[in-house]
Amino acid sequence: MDVFLQVVVNGLLLGGLFAITSVGLTLIFGIVKVVNFAHGEFLMIGMYATFLISTKLGLHPYAAVAAVVPLLFVLGMLTQKLLIEPLMSARNHDIQIFATVGLSTALINLALLLFGADIATTPAYGLRTAIEIGPIRMLVGQIVMFGVATALVIGLHFFLQRTRSGRGIRAVAQNRAAAQLMGINVSRVYMITFGLGAACVGLAACLVAPLYPTSPGIGTYFVLTAFVVVVLGGLGSIGGAFLGAMIIGLIDSLSGFYIGSDMREVAVFGVFLLILILRPQGLFGGRLKLSHVS
Amino acid sequence: MTDQTNTPNAKTVKRTTGAIALAALLAAIFITPVVVDDQFVYHIFITICIFAGLSTAWNIVGGFAGQLSLGHAIFYGIGAYVGIMLTNIGISPWIGMFAGAAIAAAVAAIISYPCFRLHGPFFALSTIALLEVFRVLALHFRDFTGGATGMMIPLNIGWEWMVFRERLPALIIAFGMMCFILAVAWWIRSHRLGFQLVATRERESAARAAGVGTVKVRLFAVAISAALTAMMGTFHGMYLTFIEPESAFSLSFSIQIAMFALIGGLGTVFGPLLGAVLLVPLTEFARGALGAEAIGLHGFVYGAVLVLVVIFVPNGLMGLVGRWFSAREATSGTQAAEVATPEETRTFTPPEPGEEIVRVRNLNKHFGGLHVTNDVSFTLREGEILGLIGPNGAGKTTLFNMISGFLEADSGTVEVKGPDGKWHSPTNPADFATLGVGRTFQIVQPFAAMTVEENIMVGAFHRYPHVDDARAAARRTAEKMGLGPYLHAEASSLTIGGLKRLEVARVMAMEPRVLLLDEVMAGINQSDVRRAIDLMLSIRDEGVSIIAIEHVMQAVMSLSDHVIVLSSGEVIAEGKPRTVVEDPQVIEAYLGKEFTHA
Repeated sequence: MDVFLQVVVNGLLLGGLFAITSVGLTLIFGIVKVVNFAHGEFLMIGMYATFLISTKLGLHPYAAVAAVVPLLFVLGMLTQKLLIEPLMSARNHDIQIFATVGLSTALINLALLLFGADIATTPAYGLRTAIEIGPIRMLVGQIVMFGVATALVIGLHFFLQRTRSGRGIRAVAQNRAAAQLMGINVSRVYMITFGLGAACVGLAACLVAPLYPTSPGIGTYFVLTAFVVVVLGGLGSIGGAFLGAMIIGLIDSLSGFYIGSDMREVAVFGVFLLILILRPQGLFGGRLKLSHVS
Repeated sequence: MTDQTNTPNAKTVKRTTGAIALAALLAAIFITPVVVDDQFVYHIFITICIFAGLSTAWNIVGGFAGQLSLGHAIFYGIGAYVGIMLTNIGISPWIGMFAGAAIAAAVAAIISYPCFRLHGPFFALSTIALLEVFRVLALHFRDFTGGATGMMIPLNIGWEWMVFRERLPALIIAFGMMCFILAVAWWIRSHRLGFQLVATRERESAARAAGVGTVKVRLFAVAISAALTAMMGTFHGMYLTFIEPESAFSLSFSIQIAMFALIGGLGTVFGPLLGAVLLVPLTEFARGALGAEAIGLHGFVYGAVLVLVVIFVPNGLMGLVGRWFSAREATSGTQAAEVATPEETRTFTPPEPGEEIVRVRNLNKHFGGLHVTNDVSFTLREGEILGLIGPNGAGKTTLFNMISGFLEADSGTVEVKGPDGKWHSPTNPADFATLGVGRTFQIVQPFAAMTVEENIMVGAFHRYPHVDDARAAARRTAEKMGLGPYLHAEASSLTIGGLKRLEVARVMAMEPRVLLLDEVMAGINQSDVRRAIDLMLSIRDEGVSIIAIEHVMQAVMSLSDHVIVLSSGEVIAEGKPRTVVEDPQVIEAYLGKEFTHA
């Protein structure tokens, strides 16, 4: 029983990790309608930045948030402005997928050029220490991450629902032309949204770096799960992404323990294919149009 | 008229030049390594053939069907693994190749089926996910696959084992396979399947209305693509003599395959070949020259090139070549828009009401709390023109969607009498099309990347499976619709009136028995309306029954044998056009209460 409880807690904490890495992806998809295949590489950049800041300047990795989040925000805005915006009017929308795939490939290999294939370990500052509550062991860093993920999801939700800028963003998502006519600067909204999505993953990077070793391929490792989480939660749904992350965390943890640690991906992606067959709009997304008739 | 003869001529010239260029390119790929006779040069040209083949195969689903696969290495890996496993138990890779192709095609169909019913990036995401699954499975089942250490091929040398000491036989096989894949791609693109794939890519609902089984044709495309990819995979495995999961099921390899196609020209037959010819030597030289010193450099360049191509030359190299050609033939001027005007203005003759052909009974549809159609019933008779009018939001288009299979009614029935004289209850657009029900869309839905002729051919394929018959039928229809001069123009270059006529032409080419016209006269000028009315009458004279949604009263009055007025989802009046327009309820619905006494 204790073991089972431990596995479930591990799953939920893992869910916190998946949530914080996925929320930016779903935000960008929901508003800009682009699947950012370079999302994982944004995480990788953030992790390398955290690594450099904490090793070169001797700061706590969490202090790197102050630099990494703005850095990623700007990177996201630039990506939108220079890469996605020129393609927004393209007749073939799939071409945007290629653009972010190309960006992803370029960034992974740039990291290889700069840092080599070796892993970079960010100092842990006690974040990898386990604390015990009854029979359950948890890492300090995981608890922090879970808390921050929850706060981020709630914060984003309130931002989008209650603030003026948030309403503007949602208006753009629902009808670009109408929003433009209402005086919303659509191009700026897209840039801010993309920046916010990237900033979210920057925040994630600072929390993930002390717990996981950084390498050029680390982004791919995380982003594949993030895709599953985002589809499970309903593409574009932030609350859905959080719950989806918890479910995938549990599946990952339980299958890793009961089936075999090398088969976790098979279980997770098996679920992914099942969702596509049974409930493609995701567990919590109802707005996805499955057929289009004008 | 001169243009009509001029355009096909220019086209023939273009085609001949293209064929010569292609033959020269293929000959160069084969002859260069044989003449130079250097190991490294052989290797580069074999690699070109392999990548050109893989990218061409990818392009069948990624380009023609517009479904981006980012995990095509799944099929490549399946081919390589199945081929080598079978070789290890003494079965020739020439046979193993087909076993791998069959498995790959089955896997492709299974994972694609759920994705092809959806809109959105699902196919790209699930191919990536599945690639990861296959890699993990190949690592896990060590007994079959050798796990992380991979598999060697047994050293049986000779043609039946595809393993050679010299390079020439490997080049012959690679070159032959590449040509085979190119031939398959060319065949698909120039036959019915290719037209249907491109139509589905451009406008899914219009393709469905034209009777295209959109999911089915995409499944065909992905299965063919996967099979060809697997066959190339088997050969590549034998050529490398060694495979392991990381390289066989590699994401970056998959991206590379897609990238050559994109750079060459997405959806063109020979673009991927061009992409591979240009990029493979560059990479191989870079890899040789830079070696381990600059790990990641060539990947970085790949990624950067991909981004730049997407932004600056989204149509790829073939797009550039095409532009060069059209610049050279810019001499042919703009096409004159002379429509064959009907000999005389027809006088309206009341027809004999025929047998019932469509029966609609008690249709109900809710959108959330909105009752869009409320218990709507009516009958269409053979050779009749039924006018469907009503204010905006009355539920006319929703009704159309239900009687063409695009929407399912909450309750009620739609029955169509088939050519066999029996009553059928079709449920999806394909069934309706089979029974001879064709429809147009209120918002025109041209296949933008196709010419006018090709647009109409998509409809014509419904009756004429063979491409020449379909082309002839499309031309006949185009002449009748006054689109003759535009046959070779891109559909996107037509005016709104032209697009409306194209919309009707595409449906007419299906030779429907029942035609559903959704506001074909809205937004066109008076003389076009006149022409459209004559057109509809001549269509009816061919024995086609018509239901027309129309706001243009002049048209409704002079055309309809029978009029149905829909308001807030209910039939509020029906009968002869004259009596209906004088009905106070109808006037109220259209103009408001105060006008009823006017």
